[in-house]
Amino acid sequence: MKTRFIFQALAFSLFGFTACSDDAPNPGNETESVYLLQTMSEVTQLKPGFMSSYTEFPSGTFANATQPSAFQGQANEGWRTRNGNVYKMFNASFERGIHKLNISAQGSISYGTSILTGNTLNGSGNFVIENDTKGYYWDGNEPWVIQTFNPELVQKTGKIDVDFETILKRNDSRITFQGIGQHFLAIKGGKLYADVVYSSGTGMARGMFNDVFNDVSIAVIDLATQKYEKTITIPNTQSIAFVNDNEMYSFDTNGDLYILCQGGPGALGGRSKIARIKAAETDIDTSWELKYSDIYSVDTGKFTGLLAKNGKLIVFSNSVPLSLTPNNINTGEIWKYHVVDINSKLITPVEGLELSTNAGGAYAAFEIDGRIILRVNAPSKAGVTGYYELNGTQAKQIIHVSDGHVAGFTKANVQ
Amino acid sequence: MSTKSSFFLFITFCWICTSYAQQHSDIHGRVKNWQANPLAGITVILGDQRASTDSLGGFVFRDVATGIQRLSLSGIGYRLRTEIVNKVANKPLYIEITLSAEDNQIAEVQVVGQSDTERAGKQAIRAVVVDTRAVAEQPVTLAELINRSPGVRIRQSGGLGNAVDVSVNGFQGRAVRYFKDGIPLNYLAGGYGIHNIPVNSLERVEVFKGVLPISLGADALGGAVNLVTKNLPIGDQLDASYEIASFNTHRIAVNASTRKKNGFYTGLEAFYNYSDNNYNAFVMVPDPSTGNPSEQSVELFHNAYRGVYGEAFVGVKDKPWAKDLRFSLAYFDVERQQQHSVLMTSPYGAALAKQSSVIPTLRYVGSFFDDRLTIEQFVVANTLKFNTVDTIQGRYDWFGNFTPTPGSVGESGRPSLSDIRIQQITSRTTASWRWNANNILSANYTMTSSKRTGEDPFGPRFADSDVDVLSARTRFDKQVLGLDWSGKVSDRWSYSLMGKWYHYRSLGTEAWANRPISENEESSVSKSYFGAGGSLKYEWDADRNVRFSTEYAYRIPEIDELFGDAVWTVPNFDLNPERSLNFNLGTRNRFRNLSYEVNTFYRRTKGLILLVPVLAPYAQFQNINNVEGYGVELDLAHPINSFLDVRGNATWQSLRLMGFDLPSDQWRNGTRLQNTPYFFANVGLNAHINGVGKPDNRLDVYLNYNFVREFYLETIPRQAEPGGFLGLSGSASVASDLIIPNQNLLSGGLSYRMKQDKYRISMEVKNMLDARLYDYFRVQRAGRSFHLKLTYQLFNAHEN
Repeated sequence: MKTRFIFQALAFSLFGFTACSDDAPNPGNETESVYLLQTMSEVTQLKPGFMSSYTEFPSGTFANATQPSAFQGQANEGWRTRNGNVYKMFNASFERGIHKLNISAQGSISYGTSILTGNTLNGSGNFVIENDTKGYYWDGNEPWVIQTFNPELVQKTGKIDVDFETILKRNDSRITFQGIGQHFLAIKGGKLYADVVYSSGTGMARGMFNDVFNDVSIAVIDLATQKYEKTITIPNTQSIAFVNDNEMYSFDTNGDLYILCQGGPGALGGRSKIARIKAAETDIDTSWELKYSDIYSVDTGKFTGLLAKNGKLIVFSNSVPLSLTPNNINTGEIWKYHVVDINSKLITPVEGLELSTNAGGAYAAFEIDGRIILRVNAPSKAGVTGYYELNGTQAKQIIHVSDGHVAGFTKANVQ
Repeated sequence: MSTKSSFFLFITFCWICTSYAQQHSDIHGRVKNWQANPLAGITVILGDQRASTDSLGGFVFRDVATGIQRLSLSGIGYRLRTEIVNKVANKPLYIEITLSAEDNQIAEVQVVGQSDTERAGKQAIRAVVVDTRAVAEQPVTLAELINRSPGVRIRQSGGLGNAVDVSVNGFQGRAVRYFKDGIPLNYLAGGYGIHNIPVNSLERVEVFKGVLPISLGADALGGAVNLVTKNLPIGDQLDASYEIASFNTHRIAVNASTRKKNGFYTGLEAFYNYSDNNYNAFVMVPDPSTGNPSEQSVELFHNAYRGVYGEAFVGVKDKPWAKDLRFSLAYFDVERQQQHSVLMTSPYGAALAKQSSVIPTLRYVGSFFDDRLTIEQFVVANTLKFNTVDTIQGRYDWFGNFTPTPGSVGESGRPSLSDIRIQQITSRTTASWRWNANNILSANYTMTSSKRTGEDPFGPRFADSDVDVLSARTRFDKQVLGLDWSGKVSDRWSYSLMGKWYHYRSLGTEAWANRPISENEESSVSKSYFGAGGSLKYEWDADRNVRFSTEYAYRIPEIDELFGDAVWTVPNFDLNPERSLNFNLGTRNRFRNLSYEVNTFYRRTKGLILLVPVLAPYAQFQNINNVEGYGVELDLAHPINSFLDVRGNATWQSLRLMGFDLPSDQWRNGTRLQNTPYFFANVGLNAHINGVGKPDNRLDVYLNYNFVREFYLETIPRQAEPGGFLGLSGSASVASDLIIPNQNLLSGGLSYRMKQDKYRISMEVKNMLDARLYDYFRVQRAGRSFHLKLTYQLFNAHEN
């Protein structure tokens, strides 16, 4: 394991980045792997559904809940895969934390070791992995602390020894909740980037689309020295990333980091944008940003998914204004993919697929086996819901799931 | 206690009872009502011997001399009766007595008449009548008692005082309505209900399944529970009890009344409940150093419940201008600690909720034109006060250790110091006109009007202002009008036809905290609906009949479903009522000593209201599910001999989702309704031994067993359901963390009556197997517990 770790660390260093938002590199020949597909059986409060394993890259039309390996639980929306290990921020009982999935050689799925975190605050359990033995996470019970853990053992190991509260706390009567790392934790070039939340929300609404300030703050921590370095800001927006497994940032092939902000105030978007930190930099690139209003003439929406790859961004955003009454944010089939050329900012709609519902905690666009995959969930249309492969700006359906709402697709090692 | 030792105890119990029965069999009998429902607690006097009837109406006298004997029967709610019996030498005598509350003689110990309880069971619309008097001395809770009824499943989220939900033929939650003497119970909120009333405070409980008579003026969809308070006999009566039990549980109940011959009466009903509810539960406890959870048994430390209810009343009966005029004044005050989150995943150590109210009520019953016209009016006006306290700045672990977190208010994620007041008026007017001996036309009009005001310094504010959302005006008015024509075609055929009109008006402010809103954005919803129903009954005799009923009913959205809770549940003004068409067919019969009842039902329900996420952390009530299904219930009662009887029932139901049109959801058509048991059964064994210690003392020993088949918190594919006959064998073939496994509950106890039933002492062991029991996913009920109850009962009849 140590050898593999050293090899991977070297590989990451050579390519100038240490973490990415989509699926991890191929787990290697020595490890057998399976494909996992997740569906939500109904869009209700506890998000029940099924996860099933497939020995081959699944294709065609099939039902996910009736697979022999099907495993039922709640909070069936999204996961994060690192080095072939699959983690979820919620377990089958909707408890927040870091929960690792076990996949047996026979393909059966179960929840393995986990770290439980405070269960009354959204974003609790948000994590990033530096390597096989070190990762960082946020526990809602201690909002000014960045905890450390061993991803392989899924065990808490301590915390970053910095008094962030003293450094970053603001005295403003509008702020009812503040902390570090609730929405955004990313590692690039030996630095940990963690959002600093200044929220006017209370209770479960703390940190939920109610930023006090219009500039999003990100603390930069040097991992080698475990020292706080500085705070950088993404100007004129709100609501960086989100509070579930869809971490809403992505590394381009060259190591540039793209960060999604949903905008606001409120959940209906406005001023939503994608910002960049270049591979060799530690500041927000003020020369580049992609705004929602760069795609649509009216600034009445937001991005909720992105993938960076070879100088292109695949972004996911609402195609008609968001509304609470009637509510179209989660269940409206209004979300659309575009491919954006990062340099020219040429924006091209993806063709060959229908509009989708919002991805929520699942990735909208991601990569498996070198293939760029798009999630499309359109419950009202027959034969549409499933996964599509993107080539250029053309998408083609490769998987049609006949039951439920697709909520995750990944490749995982078996134990 | 192991399964083996419990089984041994069970066998021993049966053997003792049967042996005893074989030695004593002189004069024994059974007292029942007109519909063969047993009457418990009836005092029977034979010469100088006294006995009282048991839960099955049975009594026995030993060593009775031959010859003519005078037999007297009396009981609360029944007039004193005497009869002459002829005891023949060396021949045991068995007597069956059918008592009436109205007639005053026994003809060949067989009198046809009706008490109120009898009438409840006689209607063409079937009600399961739970005779609380039969077990008044037992330390049984009302929820446990109702749970033993066919087709009914009670679910309680924790220990004494915690919320109780009744599932009737698969209808549950708000689809089932609760009444006290026919009045919707909303005006008493958490102060009075199945979760806290001592059984000896009630005359009986009526559980209506599928179809509701118009006398219950509410928009229940599929079921109703009517709590019927005690009758007032002419005389002085006192019933007082005290129960002490595990988990520092104390329950006191007092019922006292006096009714003069001139019609004047006064009385008191009061009860007090307290429990620490500090039973052990298995929870996942994270290791402080690694964060890894492990299952541990912990003692709940913030789970106490305290509740007091008192009602004093005064009135007059049997006047030319009023059959009954009653004024009562009630007060309740409850406080409940909140130990954990909904799924028992997060511990709390300080959050609590309180409720209280002062409740004046007025009830009038008048009868005119030779009793052809009967008018009843009930009115109540009160203010319900609700307080929620969750202000602590810190958190507790499962062991009660506190970690302060200055600046972070509340441990539940819903910080609150709310003070909410709901002013409400409920009025029920009923009128019935008897055309002739066989036909009655009835009307019932029930109106409820409520207005909510309140404040919460930690609650949401209107955007860009400091105005508390709770301070905004919120009103909800509901009216239900029912008309019923009931009649008889002959002695055997009876029927009823009814129509209902529902209307509601709701007014409030759409208070999403996630968008700019202003205080003056009031919205109003007003809608009306019509429903209809009917019933038909054919009876061969008192023990044999067949009944059919049907209804198309609505369940109107509640105010919080329309307007949300001003915190995390957001409004939905497009919400429609739930509506249901149901049919019920049943028969009651007797084969020798075995009486049995078989009932079937079919229901088709549309627009079930569920809470769905709209935007984290917010949720909204929406019309989501449609359900179609049928079921069958079997209820048996068999007296093995004069000392031992067995009762049992089983319910199987197939309630399945339907009507999903979207391609992604069509696979759910035909799957079982989630979170609803589909098979459950009860068996009860009761032994009654007279003359233990003294001739007029009696010992009752009982065992009750309850089984609930595994069921599924969420939808599983139909092909993954267990196989075998009715799906009763094996387990679901899908791996799931959301299956509630088979559950077995065994409880047993004994009660001893002394001094002509004046003094009663009862002991009970609940959950003898110490099994892990769940009514709700992950929320554990108490393990084995021990209960002792003392009852004092006094009745001095005033002779007419």
